[in-house]
Amino acid sequence: MPTTPDPLDPLLDRWREVAMPKLSSEALNHEVWRRIADAEIAENPLTIWGRIENAFSRPSFAAAFVAACTLFGLFLAELRVSHLQAQRNVQLAQAYIRLIDPLLQADNRDVASARSPQS
Amino acid sequence: MKRVILVLLLGLAGGVGGHYALLFRLQPKNVSALDAQLAWIQRDLQLTPEQYARIRAIHEQSSAHLLALAGQVARMRTEFAAFEHQRKTVGEIDFIEFAHFVEERRLIDRECLKSTQRLVDASADVMNPQQRARYLSLLPISHRSAVATPN
Repeated sequence: MPTTPDPLDPLLDRWREVAMPKLSSEALNHEVWRRIADAEIAENPLTIWGRIENAFSRPSFAAAFVAACTLFGLFLAELRVSHLQAQRNVQLAQAYIRLIDPLLQADNRDVASARSPQS
Repeated sequence: MKRVILVLLLGLAGGVGGHYALLFRLQPKNVSALDAQLAWIQRDLQLTPEQYARIRAIHEQSSAHLLALAGQVARMRTEFAAFEHQRKTVGEIDFIEFAHFVEERRLIDRECLKSTQRLVDASADVMNPQQRARYLSLLPISHRSAVATPN
């Protein structure tokens, strides 16, 4: 009497062909848990915070982040210095004109004496 | 979590530290008035050390005279205020005295202008044409003499 083929038969045949992994019990245990963790991650994708945490946990990313922050700080300082320098140049030009013109020097004296408390 | 906060704090410290370190290093320093202005002129006009020394000497020579003139201008303003006060309180002023005052003030104003123009001319003589043009462009027209004004 003909019997219907069992669907497990090919799978069992394949298992017999595959060589047993040559791993110690500890390594095998670690590998199994790693695969379980991978499967869980695949099922539950990381949240944004999780991704950020994951990125910051990498030393290369952390170092690049700190370097980028430092460079940005230096860039802002450079902008600020050039702005201050431009302002100072205008002040120096005005001060030089006052220095070489006695009429303007006298104006300065008037302003200074008006500001100083009466003695 | 702790690692993220630590890296963020390190980044913040790096940014702020770098910012203020560069700012402190490059911020213009306060030096005495004449030194600061002449240093600015030297930088702006790209004067050679010889030109700078000549221009510095010219300014130092004329500074006492310019200060004395500024003192006279201040005195004339005080006298004018006294005339004005007298006019408001007494109702009249000595017109002869006032005419002398006006004449003296006119002379002082003219001397102020001439002194400034002499200083500008002497400084401009030390410079090459490009430096001179730049230097004169920084000054009001009244401070440039007919000799120094470029065509």
